[in-house]
Amino acid sequence: MLSTSRARRALRTIGMVTTVALFTACGGDVGEDGASGDAGGEAEASFRVALLTSGPVSDAGWYAGAYEGLLAIRDSLGAEVSHQQTRTPAEFDEAFLAYGSEGYDLVFAHGSEYQDAAMRAGPRFPEMSIVVSGGGQVGANVVPLIFTLWEGSYLAGMVAGGMTESGIIGMVGGVATPPAQGTFRAFEAGALAVRPDATVLEVFIGSWDDVAAAKEAAVAQIERGADVVIHNTDGASFGVFQAVREATEGGAQTWAIGMNRDQNDIAPEVTLGSAVIEIPYAFLQVARAWQAGSLGGQPVYEGFREGVVDFVPNPARIDRIPAELLDRVRAAGDSIRAGTLEVPGIDYVEGEAG
Amino acid sequence: MAEGLVLASFLEAAVRLGVPLALAGLGETLSERAGVINIGLEGSIIAGALGGALGALATGSAAAGVVYGAAAGLLVAAVFALFVVVLNTDQIITGTAVTLGGLGFTAVVYQARFGVTGTALTLPTLEAWALPGLVDLPWIGPAFFGQAPTAYFAYLLAPLLWWFLFRTEWGLEVRAAGEDPDAAAAAGVRVRTLRFVTTIVAGALAGVAGAHLALAHTGTFSEGMSAGKGFIAIAVVVLGRWNPLGVLLAALLFGAASALQFALQTLGLDIGYQLFLAFPYVLTLAALAGWVGRARAPAALALPWPRGEH
Repeated sequence: MLSTSRARRALRTIGMVTTVALFTACGGDVGEDGASGDAGGEAEASFRVALLTSGPVSDAGWYAGAYEGLLAIRDSLGAEVSHQQTRTPAEFDEAFLAYGSEGYDLVFAHGSEYQDAAMRAGPRFPEMSIVVSGGGQVGANVVPLIFTLWEGSYLAGMVAGGMTESGIIGMVGGVATPPAQGTFRAFEAGALAVRPDATVLEVFIGSWDDVAAAKEAAVAQIERGADVVIHNTDGASFGVFQAVREATEGGAQTWAIGMNRDQNDIAPEVTLGSAVIEIPYAFLQVARAWQAGSLGGQPVYEGFREGVVDFVPNPARIDRIPAELLDRVRAAGDSIRAGTLEVPGIDYVEGEAG
Repeated sequence: MAEGLVLASFLEAAVRLGVPLALAGLGETLSERAGVINIGLEGSIIAGALGGALGALATGSAAAGVVYGAAAGLLVAAVFALFVVVLNTDQIITGTAVTLGGLGFTAVVYQARFGVTGTALTLPTLEAWALPGLVDLPWIGPAFFGQAPTAYFAYLLAPLLWWFLFRTEWGLEVRAAGEDPDAAAAAGVRVRTLRFVTTIVAGALAGVAGAHLALAHTGTFSEGMSAGKGFIAIAVVVLGRWNPLGVLLAALLFGAASALQFALQTLGLDIGYQLFLAFPYVLTLAALAGWVGRARAPAALALPWPRGEH
């Protein structure tokens, strides 16, 4: 019987290895197939750009924008591109190591969670530039890329303040990270600028992806009287839009405001607009700066002035926003551009004001 | 706002959040009673959510979507059972692989179907059924009896499963397989068959839990929306002491804990809501340590069988 037992054990081992390999293959390197741009010449040294995200790029938001940016760099600059989704800090280091030893030129690490791993990888691969979205530390070749989303969020807050009838506004956040809190502080300030007696509710659900939790958080705020709800989450945002849609269908007109990317088409009938970052445009600018040799040594700010951050009213519902409110928002935008309106932000980079 | 209304909406949220945990936890109770701990439950839940979403879109019916979701959860659990029961692999390692595989595989399918950067799906949803009479009960009426049909399924399943496990001969055989598979086999119980069947039934229930998330709770699908509920369901089984009725209560308690954090934050009481989230886990640890009554896992839980071949 020993032989059958051994055979079974061998089979079992093979089976385990195959499953793990299969599953890992399914889980990782989602974008690898779309990686190589056929324009890139094989012989000459091509421009190689990589993207790291710690969440799925199918969130129609923060990560989706980064992925589109990567594709824009491929299409506009003929770069060879690669994307990896990494979940744990240990995987962050491995990913930098992999791209560094493969000779990549530029790596976008799309989130402040990559900061520490980027600072470790920077000195090790001096030829590679690492751009950390929302990063807080500068290295010789480690560059924080800071989207001043709070400027767009402030304008969104003004719209919320002008549109609320109950005077109660809700904010549903993922994890209470500095960037998320920064957008909420600005949103609150914008709302209070238009409606000084407004109450702004804030809930963090402790996850970027938990749709059910985000929905319950929004429902709790709506039942408390909120009639405008903004979010700063990833995939979980779908739950917020759903809660707003159901409340409106139930007879209580409620509005949602999108964040990070133009989300006006997720629930067009109940969405006022979105505070957006044109991440693809910003990525393209950074990649061009790298090619021109002007990237490095200092953080890159991309915001309202650069045309990267904005508030985009929902074209399907813009008729519901009073013209004078839109004028006021536009005027505030001009003041931000002119530098005369200081939007409350947060200090990102060590030793610099936000 | 009236405090009564706050309490009523809190209870409703608690039940909504507790139902998927109850469905997955009841299935897990069945398989753990037979000696199989399925860490891959999360994989079945996310497969059930995607299967439910795709099924509902294809057929235009949320009810049919639930059936697709159950089938997807069952298939994922069948992969797990194939390795664990037939090939006798380590249950914990295999379960972990199945969870990671489920999350990765659903991501690939979703992106292939709806585009790499995602689409906010609007799915046909399971309408809530207000049970006549019961829904008018003060406080608990709307919370417990104004829910989606999947909630009533969970309420009915708990006593049914209890009756099956503790009052039928098959139930006795299941428990024997989980306590002492050698003795059970000697008495003529087909341990492997039982373990296989209970595991895939558990997978189907986890699939229903996932379909509930997509079709009854949120009306949409997004990658990773299971958000750890499979693991919480395993804790729920421990806190419920492997008793279906206890598991239903424990699931509602976990649901209440997360509903409480939203309610407290909304009220502006910023007093460490994480503490309330941690509360059921503390209770679970207490249950494991034997401080909340006697809680003992099935003796042969997670052990491959027959042992000689391991």
